[in-house]
Amino acid sequence: MKIPLAHTAMIVGVALTIGVVVVAQAWVQFREELEEKVLLMGRDVAAAAPEAILRSDYWALYNALRQKASHLPARIGEPRLQSGMVLGLDGRVLAHLDPVNHPLGLPLAPEAETERRLLADALEVLTPSVIGGGGKDGDFIESIVPVTYNQQRLGVVRMRVSMDELKDRIWQAGFTVLFLTLGLAMAGSLLGAVISSRLVRRLKALSDGMQSVGRGEASQVRPLPADGRDEIGQVVDRFNEMAAELAEKKRLEEKLAISEKLAGLGQVAAGVAHEVNNPLGGMLNCIDTLKKHPDDPALVQRYLPLLEKGLNRIGATVRELLVELHEEATAKPCDLACLSDLKELVAAEIGDRRIELRWDNQVSDEMCLGCSCPNLQQVVLNLTNNSIQAMPEGGALAFRSSCENRSLVMEVEDSGVGIPLEHRRHLFEPFFTSRPNGTGLGLWVTYQLVRKMHGTIQVDSEPGRGSRFRIQLPLEIDATAEDTR
Amino acid sequence: MIRTILCVVALILAFTAAPAAESPVRFGLTAVVVRDDLQLYDRWSSYLSKRVGRPVQFVQARSYREIMGLLQAGGLDFAWICGYPFVQQRDPETLELLAVPVYEGAPLYRSYIIVHRDSPISSLAEMKGRVFAFSDPDSNSGYLVPQAMLAERGHTPQSFFRLSFFTYSHAETIEAVAEGLAEGGAVDSYVWEYLDGNQPDLTARTRIIARSETFGFPPLVARLGIGPELRYAMSEALIGMTQDAEGRELLAQFALDGFAQYPPGLFDSIRDMADSLRQVPLVEPPPTQTVRVIGEVE
Repeated sequence: MKIPLAHTAMIVGVALTIGVVVVAQAWVQFREELEEKVLLMGRDVAAAAPEAILRSDYWALYNALRQKASHLPARIGEPRLQSGMVLGLDGRVLAHLDPVNHPLGLPLAPEAETERRLLADALEVLTPSVIGGGGKDGDFIESIVPVTYNQQRLGVVRMRVSMDELKDRIWQAGFTVLFLTLGLAMAGSLLGAVISSRLVRRLKALSDGMQSVGRGEASQVRPLPADGRDEIGQVVDRFNEMAAELAEKKRLEEKLAISEKLAGLGQVAAGVAHEVNNPLGGMLNCIDTLKKHPDDPALVQRYLPLLEKGLNRIGATVRELLVELHEEATAKPCDLACLSDLKELVAAEIGDRRIELRWDNQVSDEMCLGCSCPNLQQVVLNLTNNSIQAMPEGGALAFRSSCENRSLVMEVEDSGVGIPLEHRRHLFEPFFTSRPNGTGLGLWVTYQLVRKMHGTIQVDSEPGRGSRFRIQLPLEIDATAEDTR
Repeated sequence: MIRTILCVVALILAFTAAPAAESPVRFGLTAVVVRDDLQLYDRWSSYLSKRVGRPVQFVQARSYREIMGLLQAGGLDFAWICGYPFVQQRDPETLELLAVPVYEGAPLYRSYIIVHRDSPISSLAEMKGRVFAFSDPDSNSGYLVPQAMLAERGHTPQSFFRLSFFTYSHAETIEAVAEGLAEGGAVDSYVWEYLDGNQPDLTARTRIIARSETFGFPPLVARLGIGPELRYAMSEALIGMTQDAEGRELLAQFALDGFAQYPPGLFDSIRDMADSLRQVPLVEPPPTQTVRVIGEVE
């Protein structure tokens, strides 16, 4: 709306300015021309007058006046002669274009005061002059030319033309300009409105499209109608391309996520199968042997613990896989006092290994975390166990915990072998392990737990120099925090 | 053979006509006739040329006085003048009456006193203190007659009218009255009637308030020095105009019955009137003006 209005205002402004200037110029020019014409007419009469005046040839004088006056065109819109006369120096009429109302030989006796003054002035005029004024017949221009013979004044010629026609012409010109202006403005604003509404509509569509991309709805962005080869059309084309690419990317990502999920599931299934199958072979062998020698107590004595061990292993595997169900079932808010208990457990795990434990717990026991204590303990123990395993030759293990920005931050750092780059991608996948007897579930479980607690886990590692795991868990999870996620 | 004879006849005619072209007859015209139809005078001049055997050239002047001057100086052979100049005393006499037009059955006309159609004036007496237009200082109907009318009441134009002027033409007097420049005017009855038939728009704007008695119609005169043959030829040509179709057609254009010969006594009444006015000082007429030539120009 703004653009069309500005267009209209601009067009109207320009046109009116030009119109006013043109009309004003025309007025000045018309007036000058008219003054010239009237003066010329007066001079003509004055040139023909002396002989007739000297001879009292009123008929010749009247004819001269009439003839010169007829030079003024009688066309419509042309200035009209209001009056024309030759007066004697005593103010008597020597000739008048309206002889009936201004009889010959009588003094001209105007009623109006201004006319009387004009008459008195005219009788004193020594050089041809042009005056302007207004009277009962409207505004006029009058030429006053003295009639002279041998440098002696005989009388004066007064020719008066009406300005009304001139004004009418100027008004007409003015109206023409006004109508043209309005017409142009209307046409211009209509055109402007059409152009700009089209422009605005296209820009709005583009803006909406960009907004929906911004909201991550790339797949839902319908392509904008391609409209023209102008700049906006090109932008629209680029935008459509971009949106299409984004949508394609998103589709590919979703596809990839699904296939990764499926691959992960397959891996889990394969891992489970493998973990279950490994002890199964030995256990079935034991059972086979026991079946062949049912009465050999030595065999029972030997194999039963093996069977038990294998079953326990299967049981442990299944339990750990069920960690999520387990966690849901026991989930209840806990205080952080349980962190203090962990030191003993970690120290026990280190046992007589040559590992130095640096325990730095700065979290006050009263603080509360929206998760169960065992889960939190398991996360820490999983990490410390990994660290201990990573330092077969001994080293240093550090645990730090603190509160930063309404979240609990825990760090487990070791000076162990570190994690090779190629392992880091698979670090949290189930059944991925770099140890011969590892289950490959420790970090996976840790990851699942941290995720459940809406936390993040970060790994820094340098092969040969150790690793550092940093876990950040939000404190006091409430409804609003949940929403902003 | 016949063709050869025709050619010879044509040659003879051409040769006989040739010497005539060398000395045109000059014929003066005054305001006693309406002179705006130049073609009419061309036709009349060629008509008279054929009858007279010499080219006839019309010469027109603004005032009677110029024509009279030219006549007396020998610049004109003939002229159509007014009865008043004709009767004016010349010593020695230089003019001779040639023919008098016959208008509506008689060689007579009048003077009309006219006013504007819308004027309240109904008589010359009411014209006192007003503006009056005369035609020519030497005109009978346009100046002498109204002067006589005023003299009857013991007035002169100067004492009676506020202002008077000469238009030097009856037709222009009518125009001056019609325009309102003059509140009254004196005109030749023949000219007024002629214009009433040809330009009724003009005469309709005027009204006749007085008609004078009749006077001898403005006559055609010959200069005494031209010799009897030419005078006779011209007189015959004029009087004979009623005898042929072309002449009658021209006369119809002039609204005249014809030309005839009358004794100079026809104009005695004008002379008497002029004589009676002699005691009254006349308005000194203004100087003479330019001469215009109509018809063939050498």
